[in-house]
Amino acid sequence: MMKTTIQEIDGNMVATLEGILDTAAAPETAKAMEPLNDVEGKDIIIDCTKLEYISSSGLRIFLDVLQHVEDKGGHVYIKGLTDDVRAVFAITGFINLFEFK
Amino acid sequence: MNKVLDFIRKKLSVKVSLGVVFFAAIIFTIALGYFFYQSREAVRQEAVNRASQILDKTSLRVEGILNRVEVATNIAEWLVQRHPDKADSMFVYSRGMLLNNPDFYNCSIAFEPYFFKDQGRYFSAYSKHVGDTIRTTQGGSDNYQYFFMDWYLMPTLLDKPCWTEPYIDIDVATNTSEMVTSYCKAIKDKQGKVIGVINTSLSLNWLSQTISATKPYPHSYSIMIGRGGTYFVHPDTTKITRQTIFTQTLEKEDTALTALGHAMQRGEEGVKQMMVNEKNCYVFYKPLGQTGCSMAIVCPETDIFGGFDRLRQTVMAIVFVGLVLMLYFFIRIITRELKPLRRLAKEAENIASGKLDVELPKFERIDEIGQLSQSFGNMQQSLVKYIEELKDTTAQKVSIERDLNIASDIQMGMLPEQFPTKDDRDDVQLFASLTPAKAVGGDLFDFYFRDEKLFFCIGDVSGKGVPASLFMAVTRSVFRTVSAHESMPDRIMNTINKTMVDMNKTHMFVTLFVGVLDLPTGRLYYSNAGHDAPLLVGAGVGVLTCNPNIPIGVRRNWKYSLQESKIFTGTTIFLFTDGLTEAMDANREQFKMERVDEVARQALNNHQQEPKQIIDVMTDAVHQFVGDAEQSDDLTMMAIQYIKQQSDVRMRKSIALTNDIQQVPRLNDFVKEVCETVEMSHEDTLKMKVAIEEAVVNVMKYAYPAGTTGDVTVEAASNDVRLKFTIIDSGKPFDPTVQADVDTTLSAKDRRIGGLGIHIIRQYMDSINYERMDNLNVLTLRKKLQVSNIET
Repeated sequence: MMKTTIQEIDGNMVATLEGILDTAAAPETAKAMEPLNDVEGKDIIIDCTKLEYISSSGLRIFLDVLQHVEDKGGHVYIKGLTDDVRAVFAITGFINLFEFK
Repeated sequence: MNKVLDFIRKKLSVKVSLGVVFFAAIIFTIALGYFFYQSREAVRQEAVNRASQILDKTSLRVEGILNRVEVATNIAEWLVQRHPDKADSMFVYSRGMLLNNPDFYNCSIAFEPYFFKDQGRYFSAYSKHVGDTIRTTQGGSDNYQYFFMDWYLMPTLLDKPCWTEPYIDIDVATNTSEMVTSYCKAIKDKQGKVIGVINTSLSLNWLSQTISATKPYPHSYSIMIGRGGTYFVHPDTTKITRQTIFTQTLEKEDTALTALGHAMQRGEEGVKQMMVNEKNCYVFYKPLGQTGCSMAIVCPETDIFGGFDRLRQTVMAIVFVGLVLMLYFFIRIITRELKPLRRLAKEAENIASGKLDVELPKFERIDEIGQLSQSFGNMQQSLVKYIEELKDTTAQKVSIERDLNIASDIQMGMLPEQFPTKDDRDDVQLFASLTPAKAVGGDLFDFYFRDEKLFFCIGDVSGKGVPASLFMAVTRSVFRTVSAHESMPDRIMNTINKTMVDMNKTHMFVTLFVGVLDLPTGRLYYSNAGHDAPLLVGAGVGVLTCNPNIPIGVRRNWKYSLQESKIFTGTTIFLFTDGLTEAMDANREQFKMERVDEVARQALNNHQQEPKQIIDVMTDAVHQFVGDAEQSDDLTMMAIQYIKQQSDVRMRKSIALTNDIQQVPRLNDFVKEVCETVEMSHEDTLKMKVAIEEAVVNVMKYAYPAGTTGDVTVEAASNDVRLKFTIIDSGKPFDPTVQADVDTTLSAKDRRIGGLGIHIIRQYMDSINYERMDNLNVLTLRKKLQVSNIET
């Protein structure tokens, strides 16, 4: 149900999330996102244009990435949030943690 | 007159002086009165003695003169009897008589007619003082036939010598007359035949002068009367021989004078006090030997007491002047002595008017006034000190009162002010009132909604005022803190109790009723720590049964029991503190539970069981009962009416899952299907999906030990108003509703991973309710349906 792709575009690491990021899909997605934890000197863009659903398990993955990148002085940008997902980001205060493109 | 009296009353000096002088005047009056009386008596006695002496002396003198006349006459008689034949010798004898007695007026030795043959019919040897010489002549003649005279006939006829009544003796030779009295004695020859008469005269004028010569007092005078009362001696010479002592009484009756006349005629001796010529006089009288005459000395009282009266007037004048001077000096002295007092009085007036820094006069005195001045100074200092202290105290009191008012505001601010009514909610309406007896009180009430439950409490801290209010504030915040994570009243109560016992050093306690009303079901869970049992006003009026638990703050390990009751729609729970039942009227009679009960019944009968109505009715009843009496205790009332109308279930679905997160998509599909059934919007559907996933994943992850399989059942039901999800599992007891909420404002670094799920549930659902029933965890989540959903 969930598809995760990581590519380097214009010197930035871009992670594209597609589908429904529920608790069931979370462990798989977390694993797919792990390479981002090792990225240094580059900004990370998470493309959520096609992310339809997210639960707190999914939010933990976002927080995990953010904490790793911020430790190294990098930035995490989120791109193209759908209204449904944005509502969850808003209700949890996550909307204040990330920068949006 | 009143002004004078006023002046005297106001002036101490005048008052005291007048008193002293008045007293002195009385003493003087008594002493002098006695003295004057006694002196007057003495003077009178002295006057009597003196007058008597003079009278005696005068009388002796007169008697001496008379005796001398008689003796001289006897001698002359003897000489005549020796040589009766020699006529010329008679001239010698007569002349000798006057020579020897110059005070005699005249002397005649007269003989019977033709006694001397050669001398003719008349022979009278007559001698009389003329100037300093004695003239001796023959006195008888045709013109003066002496043997027919009284003085010649009386001794002859009476045959004894005698004194004549006064008569006028006319001296032919010198043509002078004189009032005289004569001693006449007949001369007899050897045969006893009368041959002549010897006549020796005394001038009455002379006698009178002699008698009057000695005067005891300047204005005293002497009188002498004869046998018939004729005046012989009197200062008024016209009265002599012409008037008697009684003459005056003929014109005007005068018993005193008449009595005096008679007494003198009788030859008595004595003293009489009487009016003579309109003057008060003392009259001393005494007879004069054998002459039948009586003499008296008249002494005017003014003469006797003149000196005395002058002395008396002088003394009285001195005393009067003395008293006046005494009054004057007393007033002066006392005024001078009291002058400091007047200054003190003035300064006291100044101090009284608020000038506390007035400099007091310094007196170099050690008497009472000095002491008073010193005491006054001390009083002034003390007064200044006390007023300073009073100012401080007052300022402190004002400050305390201000603080107390602020405290009261804070306390009242702690209490909920917004009460939900049926316009706000469809399940419950509530009203409460708290009236402290003092600025701050020890009663408390509180309520709030959480997870479609009404948490409420009412309590009463022992005591009143600030300590009670502080304890009340603590109790109320502990209630809030504890009930945020605990939904069962008994556990809330236990935790509150432990907390309060640990901080209760003053041994205060609180009676507390904690209730949790599950709004969807109307199930009331409660625990009562020694508080008054609430009334249930519904079909009737009844008391909510309460277990006897001890108040909060007494025993740390006391287990408070949980009770449960079903509240039917329309029933009002009426809670109150003992300020209601123990409200006292002026006679200190209490309102009592019976009256509360009765008022509640009346309210019910009048369909006034809505919270505000029932509290208003109760408040009015209490005010009417108490009247003007002071409120004795804090009065708190809270009424909760359950008004939820149960709706018919329209939809019921369920899904059974295991603790495998791979089943989450199935769950989400189930939720989506339920939401579609109740025609929920896309947005709300997403929220339901997220919320239910979080709740179920929580159970899947934590309810069962890792590696074991457990079940999770999700039931969905709806009526016209709400959609309800019930998540049931048989895992370990776990209440997700008491988890601390996440802080969504923290930075990524500080954010904990976890706690997000329950946060999302709370945000997306209208209520969340956890119950542990029959070894099952039962979590109920409710979401209100939008009206549009129902209509479409």
